[in-house]
Amino acid sequence: MDAPTKHNSNARGSGPGEGGEEVTRATILPKGPGNEDPTAATLIPLNAPVAVPVESAPTGRVSSGSPAMASGIEAIREGRPFEPRIHKEVAQHEPVVRAEKFDLFYSGKQALHGINMDFPRNKVTALIGPSGCGKSTLLRSINRLNDLVDGVRTQGEIFINNLPVYAPDVDVIDLRKRIGMVFQKSNPFPMSIFENVVYPLRIDGERRKGVLAEACEKSLRAAALWDEVKDRLKDSALALSGGQQQRLCIARAISAEPEVLLMDEPCSALDPIATLKIEELIHDIAGRYTVIIVTHNMHQAARVSDFTAFMYLGRLVEYGKTAAIFQRPQLPETEQYVTGRFG
Amino acid sequence: MGQLTQPNPVIAPVDVANHQGGSRPLLGARLGSPKSRATPLSARGEPVVWLTGMAMSICIVMIVALLGITVYQGSRTFWPKPIDTLVMTDGRVVMGMPMATEHFVPQESDRAAIEKLKADAAGFIPGAFDAQGRPVRTLYRIGNKEIRGEPFEWIELYKVKSTRRDPEATLLERNNNWGLWIGVAERVERRVKPAEGSGSPVITTLAAAEKGKGLWRSIAPLHGEASDRRGQIAVLSKGEVGEINQRLERERQDFEQAKLAAARAKAGMGPAFGAGVWWAWLVMAVGLAAVAAVMTRRLIQMADRPGSVTPTRRLVVSACWVVAIGAALVAVLERPSSASMSEQELAALETRYKAKSDELNAAYQSVLDRIKEIDARDAEVRLIVRDAESGRFAPTTSTAPDEPMRLSSVVRWVEPNQLTFAGKVGVYLDRWREFVFDEPRNTNTEGGIFPVIFGTVLLTLLLSVLVVPLGVIAALYMREYAKQGVMISVVRICVNNLAGVPSIVYGVFGLGFFCYTLGAYIDRGPMPEMVVSRFAWWAGAIGLGMVVVFAVAMGLYGRPKPGREATRTQKWLMLLSALTWLAAAAGVVGLLVGTPYFHGFYEYRPAATFGTRGLLWAALTLSLLTLPVVIVATEEAIAAVPRTMREGSYGCGASKWQTIRRIVLPRAMPGIMTGMILAMARGAGEVAPLMLVGAVKLAPELLVSKSPPFLHLENSFMHLGFHIFDVGFQSPDSEAARPLVWTTTLVLVCIVLFLNLAAIRIRAKLRSKYIGGAF
Ligand SMILES: Nc1ncnc2c1ncn2[C@@H]1O[C@H](COP(=O)(O)OP(=O)(O)O)[C@@H](O)[C@H]1O
Ligand SMILES: [Mg+2]
Repeated sequence: MDAPTKHNSNARGSGPGEGGEEVTRATILPKGPGNEDPTAATLIPLNAPVAVPVESAPTGRVSSGSPAMASGIEAIREGRPFEPRIHKEVAQHEPVVRAEKFDLFYSGKQALHGINMDFPRNKVTALIGPSGCGKSTLLRSINRLNDLVDGVRTQGEIFINNLPVYAPDVDVIDLRKRIGMVFQKSNPFPMSIFENVVYPLRIDGERRKGVLAEACEKSLRAAALWDEVKDRLKDSALALSGGQQQRLCIARAISAEPEVLLMDEPCSALDPIATLKIEELIHDIAGRYTVIIVTHNMHQAARVSDFTAFMYLGRLVEYGKTAAIFQRPQLPETEQYVTGRFG
Repeated sequence: MGQLTQPNPVIAPVDVANHQGGSRPLLGARLGSPKSRATPLSARGEPVVWLTGMAMSICIVMIVALLGITVYQGSRTFWPKPIDTLVMTDGRVVMGMPMATEHFVPQESDRAAIEKLKADAAGFIPGAFDAQGRPVRTLYRIGNKEIRGEPFEWIELYKVKSTRRDPEATLLERNNNWGLWIGVAERVERRVKPAEGSGSPVITTLAAAEKGKGLWRSIAPLHGEASDRRGQIAVLSKGEVGEINQRLERERQDFEQAKLAAARAKAGMGPAFGAGVWWAWLVMAVGLAAVAAVMTRRLIQMADRPGSVTPTRRLVVSACWVVAIGAALVAVLERPSSASMSEQELAALETRYKAKSDELNAAYQSVLDRIKEIDARDAEVRLIVRDAESGRFAPTTSTAPDEPMRLSSVVRWVEPNQLTFAGKVGVYLDRWREFVFDEPRNTNTEGGIFPVIFGTVLLTLLLSVLVVPLGVIAALYMREYAKQGVMISVVRICVNNLAGVPSIVYGVFGLGFFCYTLGAYIDRGPMPEMVVSRFAWWAGAIGLGMVVVFAVAMGLYGRPKPGREATRTQKWLMLLSALTWLAAAAGVVGLLVGTPYFHGFYEYRPAATFGTRGLLWAALTLSLLTLPVVIVATEEAIAAVPRTMREGSYGCGASKWQTIRRIVLPRAMPGIMTGMILAMARGAGEVAPLMLVGAVKLAPELLVSKSPPFLHLENSFMHLGFHIFDVGFQSPDSEAARPLVWTTTLVLVCIVLFLNLAAIRIRAKLRSKYIGGAF
C-alpha cells in the first residue's frame, strides 16, 4: 500500500481486503519480471517505491548498482552549471504554463534556479524530487502564492496562456481565480459544504442561487463526493472525514472552472482508500484540466501522470513522459532517484 | 510467507523483514521486554500533579469562600426577623430586631454591679453572660429614627429584666425617608379638617387593634385603597406631568432655536448665495461626482489590459474625487436654511409658541388639581402606631409631632412575631421582588435597585458593542496589515501596558476628553475663539484637498512593483505619504474645530446635554479601558487561524479583505468572544472611572422614554458597583444599609454571571460552527 508521507513507511504492510488497489496499480504500471527482483528488495528495503530493474534500463550511461552518485547530482550540489534533460515529447504538446529562466529567492536564499519548463495542456504533469527540492515553491510560483511570504523575490517569468504572471500590472487576484489549487493538508473553510464549494464563485460576486447550486453539484460530482454529501450540503464542512475534506477541496478548486489545477501532495495526509479515490478522481478530470501535481510517492506519479519532472535542489533535472522517466530515464541521476537510491 | 506471493515484494511488512534478516533491531523489541524496573517518580510527573492540584484547590477555596459569604449574607438579609420587647432593669421598654451578638469588656464603673449580679446568680436573663462568664450585648435595630435619632442600639443583656415577643409588635417599611418604624399599631382613623378655619379635625376610627391580634388583618383592605391612591398620584405626577413638561420643553426649544438662527442671519452669517446660485452649484457638484464615478469605472475596466492603469491615471481620478467632494461640501454647508428667517416670520412663530405654551400650562394645572384632590383624600386616613418606650405615635414629619402618619406611607406591614413559616417566605419573596423591580427609597437604603440593574446592564452591553469593533479593527490592522517590525512591536507593548494603567486615570481622561471636549462640541459647536472666518476656513479646506491629493500621489508612485522590492526612493515616498496622511487627519480635526458652520445640536439648552457626565461617555471610557483585553484576545485568535486556511482562500482568488471577512474573522470569532467576555466582566465590575464620567447616587429615570430618541444615553445613570460603594460607605445610615450591600453584590455577581453565561453559550455555538471538533 502506498505510503502517506515518508519513504520508509512504504515498508508498512498492506492490509487484507485492499486488493482493489493492487489491481489498479497493475493496470497502470507495466509489471515486468524485475518487479519481483529479490535483490532490489533486500538492497533497498526502505525507499524503493518503483523497483525498476537496473538491468532493463536502456541507456548505457547507467553504471549499474554503482554506489557513487551520478555526476549531475554532484554538479548541482556543488552549484556548478547543470543542463536539465527535457525529452522531445514534451515539446510536441501545446503548453499552458511555461516557466522561463525562473529564479526564486526566499529572503536571499535561492530556492529555484533557472527553471525552464512547459506544462502541456490537458495533461497531468507530476513533479517529483526529494524533500526541499523546490517542488512546492515552483507550484506556488505559478499562482503567485509565494507573494504572501515576506522577502520573496523572483527573476525570470512564468506565462499562463502566454500571459506573463509576474508582469507589474497583473491582477494577482484575477490570476489566482484562473488557477485552482489543492494543498497538502486539506483546508476546508469554516462554513457549510455548499459554501465551501462555491467559495470561488462567491468571492467573484456571483449571487444567483441557481448558478451556485449548479456549480456546486457539478464540482462535487466531478470530485466524486456528491453522493456522500448531497443530503447535508448545509452542514459544516469541518465535520467531514479527512479524505472527504480533501475531495471537497478539489471540488472547490475546480468549481470556478480554472485553466490549471495545482495539487501539492494532495494525498500525503490521507489513508490508502482515500488516496485511491483521489487518484481515480485525478484520472477522471485529467482530460479536461491541466493538472500539475507534486508528489512524494512515485507509485502515484506513475499512476496518475502523463508527464513527470524530476527536480533536485531547486533545479529541473529530467522531464519527460512518465513511462520514460520511470522506465527509461536518460540520466543516471533520475534513475537513481526513481529506484530509490537517494533522495 | 504469505507476502511473497503478492505481486510487489517491496511492501512486505516490517516484522517479516525482521524475521528474515534479523539484521535490524526493532524498536518494539526493547519496549516489548518485560517490565524490569519502575518508572521514576520524576518521569511520571506525580509531584507536578500534586502541585497543580494544590494550586487549583487554593483558587477554588478562595472563590468559593468569597461567593459563599456573598450568597449567605445576601440571601438572609430579607428574611423577616422577630421583634423582641425588652424590659430593662431601669424600667425602659425597648422593641427591636436582634442583629448581632458579642461579648464585651464592661466599663470600670459597671464591673462591681456585674460581679454582684453574677454572684447572686439571679436577676438576669439567660444568655446575659457567655460560657466564659463575660457579659454579652446585642445590637438591636430599633428604628423610629424621627423620634429617637439612632435607629440602632447596643443593649447589654445583663441590664435586661425580661424579654418577650408581643404578637402585636409591628414593623413598618415606609416611603417617607425615615426608615423603619417598630411599635404597636393601635388604630386607623379618618381625620377630616373642618371646612374652614382652625377648628380641630373631626376624627372617626376606621379600625382598631384587638389585644394579641395586631391590626393588619382588619386594615389590609384600607391599606390597599391607600396604596392605590399613592399609585394614582405617582402615575399622574410622573406620567402626565412629565409628558406635558416634555412637550412644553420641546416647544420652547424649537422657538429658541429659531430665535438663534434669526439672530445669526441678522449678523450676516446666513448662506453665501441665493437659492438660484445654490441650485447651480448643486448641479455642478453632482456633475463633478458623476464625472469622477465615470472615470473610476473606466479605470476598473482598463484593469483588464496590463499596463494601462498607470499611477498617473489613478492620481487624476482621485484628484477628481477630491474636487467633487469639495464642491458637494460647499453645496451642503451653504444650503439655504432657516438661518435666513425674517422678523415677521419670527414674530409669527412667537405668537404660536405663546399660545401653545398657554394651552399646555392649563393642562398642567388641571393635572395638578387632580393630584391635589387625591392627595387631600389620602391625607385623611391616618395610622396610629406607638413607639414602645415613649408611647408616641409615628408622625407625618418630625416637625409635626401631633399629626399621625398617613396610612399610605406604609409600603410593607410586617407583624413578624405572628408570621407562620409560609408567611415569612411570602415576606421574603416580596422583599426580593421589591428589591429587584422597584426604585430605591430613603437615600438608597431601602426599596429596590431596578434603575441600578438597568444602568449596569445597559452600560455593559453598550461597552461590549463599542469595544468589540474597536478592538477587532485594531487587532486586524496590527496582525494583518501592519508590517511586522519594530514599530508594531512598540505599539503592541504599549497596548499591553495600557491594561496596567489605573482605571481612575481612564476616568479622568474620559471626563476631560469625552465629557468636556467632545460632549461640549456636540452641544455648542466649536469654542468661539477657535472659529475662523469663512474665507479662512475654505482656504484651509482647499489646502486639505491638496494635501490629500499629494498623499495619494506619493502613495501611488511609492508603491513597489508587485513581486519586486521597493527601491530607496519608493521607501521614502511611502514614508512621506504616511506622514502626509497624518497631516491630513490633523487638518480634518483642525477644520472641525474651526468650522463656522456648526453651532452644536443643543445650543438652545441652558444646561449641558452631552457636555456632561453620561452613560455614553462612561461606556466609551470603559471601552478604552477594556480595549487591550479585546485586542490581545483577537490578535491571538487571528494568529491562530491556520495558514493553510488563508492560503486556500488566496488560492481561490480571494483578496485579502475577502479572506479576512470570510475566513479569518469567522474562524477567530470564538476568540473575539473570549475577549468580549473578559471585557464585559471587567467593565461591569469597574467603579472608579464611572464615578467621574457618569454614575450617580440617584437617577431613577431609566434612560428610556416614550419620546424620541427613546434611549437617552447622554443622561447619567446608576451602577451596581458604585451603588455598593455608595450604600455601604456614603450612606447617612450605613448600619441600616449594610445588609443591602450584600444583596446588591449578590445581584451584581448574578448579572455578570448571567451575561458571561450567555456569551459563553454563543461562543460554544460559534466554536462548533467555525472550528469544529471532528477530523
Ligand atoms: N517560506 C519559506 N521561507 C524560507 N524558505 C523556504 C520557505 N518555504 C520553503 N523554503 C525553502 O525552499 C526550499 C524548497 O522548499 P519547498 O518548495 O517547500 O520544497 P518541496 O516542496 O520540494 O519539499 C527549501 O529549502 C525550503 O527550506
Ligand atoms: Mg512541498
